Amino acid sequence: MGHPNVGKSVFFNRLTGANVTESNYPGTTVDYTKGWMKIEGEDVELVDVPGTFSLDPKDKAEDVAVAMLHETRDVKVISVIDASKIERGLYLALEIIEEGYPVVIALNMWDVAWDKNIRIDARKLEQILGVPVVPTTAISGEGIKELVSRLKDIQPVEVDDIIANAGGLT
Amino acid sequence: MTLSLEERWTLIDKISRETVTFGKYEHTLKDAIGELTVKPLTGIPVAIAIMYGFWSAFGSFAGTLMTDGFFVKLFDGYWLPWLQGAFPGQGSWLYSIMVDAGGLGGSEFVLSDTCFEAFGVLTSGIFVAIGVVLPAISIFYLMLALLEDVGYMPRLAVLLDTVLHRVGLHGYAIVPTILSLGCNVPGVAATRILETKKQRFIMMTLLAIFIPCGAQIGIMDKVVPALMGWILLYLIIGYFIFGYILNKVVPGKAPEFLIDVPPYRKPLMRNITKKIWGRITGFFKVALPFVMLGCAIVNVLYLLGVIQWLGDVLAPIFVGWFGVPKETAGPLVAAFLRKDLAVAQLSVINMTDYQRITAVVLVTIYFPCVATFAMMLKEGWKELIAAIGVLIIVVFTYGGLIHLIGIILGVAE
Repeated sequence: MGHPNVGKSVFFNRLTGANVTESNYPGTTVDYTKGWMKIEGEDVELVDVPGTFSLDPKDKAEDVAVAMLHETRDVKVISVIDASKIERGLYLALEIIEEGYPVVIALNMWDVAWDKNIRIDARKLEQILGVPVVPTTAISGEGIKELVSRLKDIQPVEVDDIIANAGGLT
Repeated sequence: MTLSLEERWTLIDKISRETVTFGKYEHTLKDAIGELTVKPLTGIPVAIAIMYGFWSAFGSFAGTLMTDGFFVKLFDGYWLPWLQGAFPGQGSWLYSIMVDAGGLGGSEFVLSDTCFEAFGVLTSGIFVAIGVVLPAISIFYLMLALLEDVGYMPRLAVLLDTVLHRVGLHGYAIVPTILSLGCNVPGVAATRILETKKQRFIMMTLLAIFIPCGAQIGIMDKVVPALMGWILLYLIIGYFIFGYILNKVVPGKAPEFLIDVPPYRKPLMRNITKKIWGRITGFFKVALPFVMLGCAIVNVLYLLGVIQWLGDVLAPIFVGWFGVPKETAGPLVAAFLRKDLAVAQLSVINMTDYQRITAVVLVTIYFPCVATFAMMLKEGWKELIAAIGVLIIVVFTYGGLIHLIGIILGVAE
């Protein structure tokens, strides 16, 4: 899951060897695609969904993504965030975490954020959120291995814990 | 537990303060180019230049170099004469359907000189698909992939926003529109990025009626190159006239749009080739069988006399209302299967230039091809029925209007 044009389809193609269309504009993917990837010898199904800004869909493509998430409760979510626009990406990630899904966060377009002089302390972010946070650059493949290696042991986290780690809501 | 919207943003603020540092951002050359292509004063000339480049590359590569320079010679010079001789039973039903109908509708059997006239499944069918349409869509998809991956599409959307609001859409409608110029099927799917039902309906209807696909444009450019300007002009004007009317008539909202304009990126060769390959193989799976099937069906209908009968029955409408010869009934039947095939068939009917313009525009705006039809059905049968209703009205009013304009200009009667 992630916003439009953050690189979800690039991840999907990289992980499954599939051929869904990748482009540099929001709204390239308008339907879901299922594929298979291997994690430590085990076949795991992976679903590519259209981008959405929140879990409250605003168009039919977003609707497809949110419906897919809600129809399959027993899933792990790769939350793809544009590292150069991290705050709004975290908004969607938090929504998904709050609904009780186990999440791993890919801070994608790490190279773009770096060029824009945006520095993110991924380790600290991971400590606060309690979910794995992996810097990635999907088009060149950086970070993808680490992302996969951390997928297997992700767990749902309580949002109360995140609030406590962040030092309260005030 | 779930948070309220404010709580969530407060939490994100706190997290971001702890983990993110924003350094000084320097305006780069990429940003400068990015701005120049969005601001109307500089952006519009750039857009025109890009579209012109697109069009001339399309015409010179597909039309001149590949089709005229290579495929026409190959098919008309070698393939057709060889097959005419090698296929047994000249003049028989099977021969007419597969190889050469020998001057359709005429009383005497005459061997055809070109693959446009032959009408056979193995001659015209293969020639249209491989000789004309394949080069056209290959170059189209190459340029489309470049525009997509560089990140130009959202900028074009920003530029065209004001204009497209007039027809109840917004700038982002340019994405389904441009995709439809390749093939209407992904174009229809892309309407999902529009927010309201009203917008999706208007968009889908306009695409199905007024946007010719790459296959069709390729063959139009081959058989009626001199008339292309007129045909495209009529289609663009129709898009806006009927978009404007639909916007007034269809209930619902047409909201503003907010768009993330991504940075320009260098396209990756790997991704470009993968996309082109995927789209071309997709075309072959869908188009080639339909072109060949279309040829076969039309030939059978000719042999059974159905087309002639249809032409006679519909003659008052064709001749009186649209001002085109009644023989266009045949291509209109084929148009439901493949529009490129229909345009090819139009090219061998004897008529004036203005009649040809009218007939090509009619083939374009009349019924979407069967694949588009199926895709629209998938998006909702009520919308499909409504779209067909609009389509019938448009074909009659606009077809009549074009005839009327011809009469006023003194080029039609």
